[in-house]
Amino acid sequence: MEERRTMQQSPPGETERKVAVRLSGVTKSFGDFAAVDDVSLDIYEGEFFSLLGPSGCGKTTTLRMIAGFEEPTAGEISVAGQQVQGVPPYKRPVNTVFQSYAIFPHLDVFDNVAFGLKRAGVKGDELRRRVTKACGMVQLAGYEKRRPNMLSGGQQQRVALARALVNRPKVLLLDEPLGALDLKLRKELQLELRTLQEEVGITFVYVTHDQEEALTMSDRIAVMNEGKVQQVADPATLYERPRNRFVAGFIGQTNVISGKVESVNGDRVLIKTAAGAEIEAIAHEEVRVEVGAEAHLAVRPEKLRFGNSGDNVFAAEVRQIVYLGASTQYIMKLADGGRLIVYQQNAHDATVNAAVGDEAQVSCDATNCLVLGG
Amino acid sequence: MAAGSAPKGMCRISDRMLLLVAGLIYLFLYAPIAIVIFFSFNSAKSTQNFAGFSTKWYGELLRDQTILDAFYNSLFVGVAATAIATVIGTLTALALSRNEFRGKTFADSGIYAATVMPEIVVGVSLLVFFVAAGVGLGITTIVIAHVAFTISFVTIVVRARLSGMDRSIEEAAQDLGANPVQTFLRVTLPLILPGVMAGALLAFTLSFDDFVITFFVSGVGSSTLPLKIYSMLKFGVTPVINALSTVVVLVTLVIILGASRFLGRDEAREVRRATEE
Repeated sequence: MEERRTMQQSPPGETERKVAVRLSGVTKSFGDFAAVDDVSLDIYEGEFFSLLGPSGCGKTTTLRMIAGFEEPTAGEISVAGQQVQGVPPYKRPVNTVFQSYAIFPHLDVFDNVAFGLKRAGVKGDELRRRVTKACGMVQLAGYEKRRPNMLSGGQQQRVALARALVNRPKVLLLDEPLGALDLKLRKELQLELRTLQEEVGITFVYVTHDQEEALTMSDRIAVMNEGKVQQVADPATLYERPRNRFVAGFIGQTNVISGKVESVNGDRVLIKTAAGAEIEAIAHEEVRVEVGAEAHLAVRPEKLRFGNSGDNVFAAEVRQIVYLGASTQYIMKLADGGRLIVYQQNAHDATVNAAVGDEAQVSCDATNCLVLGG
Repeated sequence: MAAGSAPKGMCRISDRMLLLVAGLIYLFLYAPIAIVIFFSFNSAKSTQNFAGFSTKWYGELLRDQTILDAFYNSLFVGVAATAIATVIGTLTALALSRNEFRGKTFADSGIYAATVMPEIVVGVSLLVFFVAAGVGLGITTIVIAHVAFTISFVTIVVRARLSGMDRSIEEAAQDLGANPVQTFLRVTLPLILPGVMAGALLAFTLSFDDFVITFFVSGVGSSTLPLKIYSMLKFGVTPVINALSTVVVLVTLVIILGASRFLGRDEAREVRRATEE
């Protein structure tokens, strides 16, 4: 199930899926600085969509524009098919879970969760029933009369979540909601959030700087840097087919090798490094390559293996060996001074006997060497 | 431990000296007030020799209609000025902490500067202003003058409260469907209320005690309590004045204690900063 979901290039049945949030050419400038620069995105109904990037990449500003706390300088945003420019936050069919939780400190858990429903005119039994149900959904049953200052960080986070979800928004916006929690609790809540999202079927737009978090939770991820979307794809595609150097470097670990394009034959590209080595690589259709041009290619450390059985063979010196339990990391130095990181699984038939200072050959297949776009 | 034991004797002496000096300072600060209160209970008319305990001077206060009038005036001015200054001061604090605008630094320092403006200058300029504007001096001018000089204090106290508040709490309210008015009434106001209350109580005591500014802007028959005490002094210090002073001290003290209950640490620091300058 999980496997099927993450391997898809685009969400299931894209043609019949409705767009929950559409950003077209959205730009947000603060003075001369463009925090968000010409971003276009389609986020589908029922999708767990993440905006991933380093701090200052514009992901939170993008989220705040969907919520209505910021207005775009240019471009259009629509939620559930309705244009929302100029619509104040309290009239948008979205709810937000804030990084600081933003629980109302003067209200107890019940009144916090009931806040949105009361504004919408829900009263009496229905109000009580829906609030109780929402509290139960986030495992806060019995906490209704507690004051926020008597709750732990994790519990406050649950209140924030219940308070937003109880309104049944079209889209739930989450701004690094787990950022302030410790690692163990964060891992727990990641799974809980994912399960919850599947249960309620509401579109989640999730902002995070943690690539691991984005990979484990999302249906699709938009990787952002310097205000621009670098790539939008499902986790597996992002990892296996990063479009450019930024994405390749930001998602997981990677070796980047630079050289000049010697020849192009279909999607096969031959690249010659400064040291004279020739490397066969793959260029996906979205990447433009020209003979004679400078090119960078990426090889994941686990796609490299010791020996010379692959299409591309590198001679390198073992400089450092780091034992990681399930795998071992070898940091190698290439003849031209470049660094190569190699992961070997510590499987039952592991045969690597390299020691620090050894000269060794490592190789990989051409299909695992990806030419990166700009 | 060993290092601490050697100069211990010296420490004890200097500790005692410190205690003595501190005690003297407190004596200097409070002895005069204590003496005034003490002699307000003197059965004799003297303010030097205590003849016996009596509350008859307080009875005198209640029988003197001019004193009662002055007390009512002070109360009316205090309540009216406080109500107006609290509303304006709170709105000013919200405006200053929520918006970026041209001249904000200027507007900001204007608030602080108003708290340290010499009272005599404020008094004289308000008098000139009222005369030029053709406003007859009386209770109304006193209220206007008191509003003018207490706004800054309210603003400073409320602002301190606002600066400690997470902006996303108000965003959360809007996000959950509350319009700006609902957001203010249901979230912002409850959260800044301690600051607003503290500011109001501070404004009231400042108004209730004020002499200098009131002296310039009051008209005939619009005497407040401090003005009344001053005018009574022309005929010498009497136990009635002592009793009246005791009442003023008591009212102020009760209100300041009330304010400090509302004041958080941040606000208290802001008020200290404002009043020290």
